[in-house]
Amino acid sequence: MYVWGTNISVQDVNAAIVRFLRNFMEGPTQADSIEEGKYMRELDRVFEVEREWIDIDAQDIFSYDQDLYNKMVRYPLEVLAIFEIVLMDMASTRNPLFEKHIQARIFNLRTSTCMRNLNPSDIEKMVSLKGMIIRCSSVIPEIREAVFKCLICGYYSDPVRVERGRISEPKRCMKEECATKNSMTLVHNRCSFADKQIVRLQETPDEIPEGGTPHTVSLLMHDKLVDAGKPGDRVEITGIYRAMSVRVAPTQRTVKSLFKTYIDCLHIKKTNNSRMQADDPMEVENSYNGSEDVTFDEQMVQKLKDLSKKSDIYDRLTKSLAPNIWELEDVKKGLLCQLFGGNALKLASGATFRGDINILLVGDPGTSKSQLLQYIHKLSPRGIYTSGRGSSAVGLTAYVTKDPETGETVLESGALVLSDKGICCIDEFDKMSESARSMLHEVMEQQTVSIAKAGIIASLNARTSVLACANPSGSRYNPRLSVIDNIHLPPTLLSRFDLIYLILDKPDEQMDRRLAKHIVALHFEDIESVQQDVLDLSTLTAYVSYARKHIQPQLSDEAAEELTRGYVEMRRRGNFPGSSKKVITATPRQIESLIRLSEALARIRFSEWVEKRDVMEAFRLLEVAMQQSATDHSTGTIDMDLITTGVSASERMRRDNLAAATRNVIMEKMQIGGPSMRLMELLDELKKQSSLGEVHLSDLRNAVATLTTEGFVAILGDTVKRV
Amino acid sequence: MVGLPYDCLANPLGAVRFTFEKAVAAGADPAALNGKDWGAGDLFRDVLFDQGALSQVPILNAKNIGHVQPNTLVRFRGMIQDMLGNEFYAGVYKDGSSWRTNKYRDVSQFPMGSSPDMHIWERHLLYCIQVPGLNPWADTSSGTVVARPVEQTSPHGEKRRRADKEDIDQMDVETSEDGIQRSSGVKKLREDGHPSQNLQLLESVAGSTGFGSCTMPRDEGDSLSCLIKVYDSSDSELKLNDVFEFIGVLTFDSEYQVDNDEFLDGFSEDMLASLPLNKVPRLHCLIHRKLAAHDFLQSTPLELKPHLVKEVRQTLLSHLTAVLGNDGLAAHLVLLHLLSRVHARIDNFAVGKLSFNLTCFNKESVSIFGNQLTLAIKDLLPFSHIVPLTVDYLNAASLAPKKDYERNRLVSGLMQLPEGTHLTIDETQLEAGTLNSVGVENARLLKYLSEYQKVEYDFKYYKMEMAADFQLLVLSEGKSTILPADLVIPFRPSSVASGEAVAAETLEAWRWYLATVRSLSHSIDSDMQKVVENDLVAARQANRNLSSQDLSRLLTMGRLMSLSFGETSLSLEHWQMVKELERLRWERLA
Repeated sequence: MYVWGTNISVQDVNAAIVRFLRNFMEGPTQADSIEEGKYMRELDRVFEVEREWIDIDAQDIFSYDQDLYNKMVRYPLEVLAIFEIVLMDMASTRNPLFEKHIQARIFNLRTSTCMRNLNPSDIEKMVSLKGMIIRCSSVIPEIREAVFKCLICGYYSDPVRVERGRISEPKRCMKEECATKNSMTLVHNRCSFADKQIVRLQETPDEIPEGGTPHTVSLLMHDKLVDAGKPGDRVEITGIYRAMSVRVAPTQRTVKSLFKTYIDCLHIKKTNNSRMQADDPMEVENSYNGSEDVTFDEQMVQKLKDLSKKSDIYDRLTKSLAPNIWELEDVKKGLLCQLFGGNALKLASGATFRGDINILLVGDPGTSKSQLLQYIHKLSPRGIYTSGRGSSAVGLTAYVTKDPETGETVLESGALVLSDKGICCIDEFDKMSESARSMLHEVMEQQTVSIAKAGIIASLNARTSVLACANPSGSRYNPRLSVIDNIHLPPTLLSRFDLIYLILDKPDEQMDRRLAKHIVALHFEDIESVQQDVLDLSTLTAYVSYARKHIQPQLSDEAAEELTRGYVEMRRRGNFPGSSKKVITATPRQIESLIRLSEALARIRFSEWVEKRDVMEAFRLLEVAMQQSATDHSTGTIDMDLITTGVSASERMRRDNLAAATRNVIMEKMQIGGPSMRLMELLDELKKQSSLGEVHLSDLRNAVATLTTEGFVAILGDTVKRV
Repeated sequence: MVGLPYDCLANPLGAVRFTFEKAVAAGADPAALNGKDWGAGDLFRDVLFDQGALSQVPILNAKNIGHVQPNTLVRFRGMIQDMLGNEFYAGVYKDGSSWRTNKYRDVSQFPMGSSPDMHIWERHLLYCIQVPGLNPWADTSSGTVVARPVEQTSPHGEKRRRADKEDIDQMDVETSEDGIQRSSGVKKLREDGHPSQNLQLLESVAGSTGFGSCTMPRDEGDSLSCLIKVYDSSDSELKLNDVFEFIGVLTFDSEYQVDNDEFLDGFSEDMLASLPLNKVPRLHCLIHRKLAAHDFLQSTPLELKPHLVKEVRQTLLSHLTAVLGNDGLAAHLVLLHLLSRVHARIDNFAVGKLSFNLTCFNKESVSIFGNQLTLAIKDLLPFSHIVPLTVDYLNAASLAPKKDYERNRLVSGLMQLPEGTHLTIDETQLEAGTLNSVGVENARLLKYLSEYQKVEYDFKYYKMEMAADFQLLVLSEGKSTILPADLVIPFRPSSVASGEAVAAETLEAWRWYLATVRSLSHSIDSDMQKVVENDLVAARQANRNLSSQDLSRLLTMGRLMSLSFGETSLSLEHWQMVKELERLRWERLA
């Protein structure tokens, strides 16, 4: 016996299916294993819960019997029918009391078709599609078996089964004594019905080419699949693509040549991968068993791994982040760390250490802070974007309202709770009301929101990274004021930010020239040549998601040592005598920040170990962010002349020489605690030494400042005193 | 052209059948012809373009739709408003021993059993509407080309064709005359409409909602939409909101009804039911071509010569100056604005856009100059559109297209316009008021459009960004904050414009100029690049407040300035002109 129109033997397929069901085993199999196959156990479970179907992973079929898999995909109707016969046979032998019909539901096909590419050659084939449900019809009862009754004698007929979608009404009464013609009528409440539903599936936005509209396809759902998905769900379905000719009324002469297509759905799986994967390891530990997560296919993983091995991956990722925003390399590096995040720790004692990195951008207007925020918002999982001016305390955290219908008090989540495990972007942070800002204290360190009002006492998770941006207090950065005075936010809040970036717009010809070049190139050159080596958004997202999910770096001993050393030094610098409260000093929070940053940096490399270089880079980021290299620690102000990173090596050398020369002069001319000396006098002395070339007063000031930090001299207005 | 056994225009299906049979006879496997052209397309291309029969093909519109015979060749010019996916049909089948095809037709002529010799093919369905905002001068279809007198297929094809040709020639003459008349009509309107001294009229104009025609959401009543069935083309070729000319077979079979008691009754009546046959004809497309701005010109295009371009530019500029009450600076900038287009997109940044904000308008001056300007633009560009920005309008209008899942159709919004549409937004009517959620959404949409040249289409469960390329002109009292424009300038008229008459040829030359020059490519040589870079650096050193957007605008202006002279690379002279314009503009802003 062959399947009609093919050379497939029914017996062969039957045997293959029996073999598969009996013998398929997960994992490596021992030849003499006495264990039962995976699907035999599955079948027993079906008996237990009296289910009407059995889920079969197509990957299993493929790995067991490729030929069977191919036949199934090409001739699903026939093969599935055989599947069911086999299942019925098995059921009757294993459990004679089991009467239900068992359906085989195939899922997880090896290839998934794009809805757009469905074409006539796919008809009657098994396909797998991804899409979004946009409409569900009401549930339609479809008749399976009909019972008729004779209107004359009241005789009930035997159930009549549906054949080819039609029920044939008996022409005459079956009872021999009666045998009246056309007397049979349908008895509704004795018929059996099955649920049916028509669902329309639409392409997901990422599959739509530019300038196109999404395609849709109709799905036919039966029985248990009815109402399995609701509009708005993203699903992956497996089914058989069918075409049906459109019938014309028999009175018409012309014949329609059209076909309606639909998919007879076999299996439906909900997916949700619109954004970066939000699952954190913590979540997995707690309740998740990973049933819904997106699995990266091997090809992608390989690609990502290859990428991670590139030596310039850190720079490359930096470049790929908001490539249209010019410069701000170090800010982007910080944001990259935020995206990757550190490891969240939960100690047995119950103490938690957040892994999320909070960043504050403070800067002059027009330095594209907001664009950066928008970009991160787009990229991050569950990102929420709010503006400080338009946010209230409750809007950010959570609030209690009365349900208008029931009158119950209900808890509504605010932006921070909604962005749990994402990044909450807050623009115009400085314009936020004091009370709203104070709500952030808890969120940013404890990562919870506690509510106690109107009879509701709750603590909600808000494991979110905060990315905020603000203008300096005087709208433009005032170099005469200290950093703290410029930022003008409470220090308690400031210390909760891991990185605080000062983005200063300083006149710098080099920078302007590069900007000019960039813009000219933007307008006149091939776009291709402008951006090379840049990862596209989807790859970047995948890269970040993968790293967040699979890489859990740990501190190496070497790195830990470096951390301690660096931290001690930072503390020392902050505690420098004479430094007032105007400098941001190192606190234990900082060391946590550094750990998080170095972990993020290791993640960027897909490395399981945090190495020394990661720690060093973390220190660098922290320093660069605050422009600390340019900060005068005694006054807390930033020396604007030092801000440009464009200090060349020779320039640095010259400065060192000058400092050394100044030291010598002071050693010569002054005693400890002796009379002070005016700067101008010092300058004259220095000018006498021809080896230094031209010396300006400003240069001298720098040199003296350096010496001051060393504790060699003290400066009082215009006079220098040796201490 | 003797010896063709069919008339391509009156009986296109005959031609299709003939070529099909020829191909089969030549040994082609009918099943393998799927997705391929077996010579029908070539044949029609040859007849229509090489032999010039195109002008005899009637252009469908709402008026002549009743007179055109089904199964004849027609043209339809429209914008792709929605894509309805694919349709499967019985491509080839065997009728007895001979192969038949259903390509380019809705119903099969011969009975077909469900034999294995039937192959299913697919075709794409496009829902097209007449181009929104199409200006009268560009509307070739409006009643000028009369439907061809329909006869049954005449055996004396050639003779008739000649007769037809004369017919058409005559019609062409009529057309051009009509064009002149129309443009003079417009002029008359202009003259009549705004005699500046006539206070009465002024009041009445000011009292009504701004000027002229504000198109409310398209009603499908008087415009014609068409369901186009496209064969053998890839998705990438036909894009949403593109303007195309489709040439194909019109089917208009009122008998043909979808039988709805099929099992998909849940919602199978969806789209076809919402496209009633008597309103929406079906067109089986044989040839389609994308229309650019110069395809709408009536006369044959001129040759691009430097002196000619300069001359046209000069006259156009003086015309614009006159329209703008002798404000030369504004006229210059308007000219650049009219030439702008998005020529590249880098991430979110649309390079080349130049939205323009004329400030210092009040209700009176907008009724004089605003009106004149929009009328002038209407005469110059093929597609233009006016948005009267009022609180009520914002609260009521549906700007963004929206997906209606009940009918499975994309419901058009006002901002679903073809590329290159000119949008005038009149903000002077805006008064204090409360925006509802629709209004906020609409205002946001406009702002987003102005910043990124993108429109978000509402798909209910998510939004989809569609790239747009609209020239935005904002007329406002102060600097518009709803629509932050690239170029802002206070409007300073010094005299009231005299509505001087413009000769039809001049108008036509201007249209040609704008259409041609706008599409030129552009580059910069390395020397000039250095100069530009230095200038930008110097400008930024002098004024720290210059953002990269400001610098970007300078470059866009430089590019447009040299394009306006028909040159494809930036010269020092033009760069200086731009800098001068920019200096004058800053002066005025100060």
